[in-house]
Amino acid sequence: MATLQLSGVCKSFGTTPVLHDIDLDIGEGEFVVFVGPSGCGKSTLLRLICGLDTIDSGTLTIDGEIVNDVPPAKRGIAMVFQSYALYPHMSVASNMGYALRLAGTPKAEIERRVEAAANVLRLGPLLKRKPRQLSGGQRQRVAIGRAIVREPNVFLFDEPLSNLDAALRVDMRAEIAALKQRLGTTMIYVTHDQIEAMTLADRIVVMNAGRIEQVGSPLELYRRPANRVVARFIGSPRMNLLPGALVGDPAAAEIGVRPEHVRLAGVGHGLAGTVRMVEHLGSDLFAHVEIAGVEERVVARLDGGREVHVGEAVSISVDADTSHRFDAQGKRMAPAHNDRRTA
Amino acid sequence: MSVAPARALPSSPPVSRLAARGGLKAGERRVGWIFMVPALVAFTAVILWPFISALGLAFTRYDLRTPEPIFIGLANFRAILASPQILGSFVTTFVFVTLATVFTVAVALAWALILNQSFRGRALLRTATLIPWVLPATVAAFVWAWIFNSRFGVLNAALLSMGIIDLPQAWLSTSAGAMTAVVITKVWISVPVTTTFFLAGLQSMDREQIDAARVDGASDWHVLRDHIMPHLRPVLLVVLVLAVIGNLQQFDKIFALTGGGPVRATTVLSIEVYRLAFDSWDIGMAAAVGLLWVATIVPPAFLYLRHLLKDA
Repeated sequence: MATLQLSGVCKSFGTTPVLHDIDLDIGEGEFVVFVGPSGCGKSTLLRLICGLDTIDSGTLTIDGEIVNDVPPAKRGIAMVFQSYALYPHMSVASNMGYALRLAGTPKAEIERRVEAAANVLRLGPLLKRKPRQLSGGQRQRVAIGRAIVREPNVFLFDEPLSNLDAALRVDMRAEIAALKQRLGTTMIYVTHDQIEAMTLADRIVVMNAGRIEQVGSPLELYRRPANRVVARFIGSPRMNLLPGALVGDPAAAEIGVRPEHVRLAGVGHGLAGTVRMVEHLGSDLFAHVEIAGVEERVVARLDGGREVHVGEAVSISVDADTSHRFDAQGKRMAPAHNDRRTA
Repeated sequence: MSVAPARALPSSPPVSRLAARGGLKAGERRVGWIFMVPALVAFTAVILWPFISALGLAFTRYDLRTPEPIFIGLANFRAILASPQILGSFVTTFVFVTLATVFTVAVALAWALILNQSFRGRALLRTATLIPWVLPATVAAFVWAWIFNSRFGVLNAALLSMGIIDLPQAWLSTSAGAMTAVVITKVWISVPVTTTFFLAGLQSMDREQIDAARVDGASDWHVLRDHIMPHLRPVLLVVLVLAVIGNLQQFDKIFALTGGGPVRATTVLSIEVYRLAFDSWDIGMAAAVGLLWVATIVPPAFLYLRHLLKDA
């Protein structure tokens, strides 16, 4: 386990700045997830932490020691790559023991640690196989096993589940969560999948355009997003944004409402709209409502048993205590004091 | 509960033995042969028939004194075994092929590794690398002949100015110097294409694999030995075999640079055959040496074809 601090970290590729003044403290044994849209710099930040790219300015400290110029292998870090990056010509056992072999670890010790990691990840029968003889999920487990064998102080995961199909992703997510409980090692995990972020993270770091937008626990980000970027990125389906003036709050530029907080009623009970699409998910139902003056359709999350039909005229209303106010710059505003907003 | 009778699956057409290679289905072979006829006719006319004719001449005496070939069995081959000069040309060929192949592969691999790095001007350097390849072989040979020239060559000028030699050297007038010159020329011409092969191989490599190795503690040497070379192994095999075949067939550059001299120092089999055929007009002997020359090319060609067919 290790602590990790990033102070004023900047990175550019050529003349293109990629990361701006990143400050972040990660505690011992914490599971921190970097999320953000593609190209926001989350993978670059992970590579800087790992030492695969150099930091232009600022400092990276691991356990109180500045490691900007320390090579990757000496940072006590192990990384699981998006493509798994297994060595195709080596067996599973050789893949897992490679780092130890390079470090000059005795053969018996390598075998012991590989076997122990293989048992944890149920890779025992596969140790002699080559990566091409494994399924996607098995390859992923080997990649994790390769990291575990090194007994690192910090684990880095770069979108490790993005190449797996949906069912396998759920299984592997559970495995990573179990691993987190078992090892208790500091873990940094990059993903653009917010469900992974919400289910795995102790804290989530939301990034956008090379900057950290907000750091907090999953529920904190969900309930109190610092700005409209975070509000729109966390939550699925994403938060609805309505013009403040339209819902009776002209002081706010926009009012954000989670789909589960949108109330759907008959005509005359709020903002008038028309249902344009209905998605039945069994337990839930998503109604996409078109409202005049609102750019995007408003999504309402309803009970799965409710009857809603495409083309139906409806009204929507929102509560002040479950909605979020944003100013013209997209920053969060203090709550207003009227108790219900309608049209 | 009633159970519907199992419906017979539609029978698939019989598959020929070639189907495993993506070949023709049974019944389509005749059409396949028809398509092959033009290629077979052309192959027979311009390759197979001349080759068989030359093969036949190897068992004849056919020189200035015999207007028609006379069958003499294996006499030409016995003469070859008794000729230290011709046996020497086999040794010269072996030396030339070994040196040219090893240095071509080594230099091209090193150059490809450099060109695979990110640096300013890389695209320009990659393009410039192809220059030796686009030059006509004889032009390249004369360029190097000028470089090695004892009186006004740039090699002597450079070495003299650096103080490495005190007097101009006649590089092409010594056995070792001439062999070095032909090997350097051949390597210089062959490196661009070989580099392209290696570069293509390197670019197909997963960059994350190298990153993973770095995180695991691999040095540059470990990355080369444990990751790049295993990845390039199929390319290396093809490059080695093609280089051996190309160097065994080498004629024009050596002929233009040294003419096989000095004193047979660079007389490889191709030059030997040329001299026997067109200096001595001993066509029978030339055909016999040529036959043995072809025999040296068969093993690497077989390896290459086997590799190609295995991947097909």
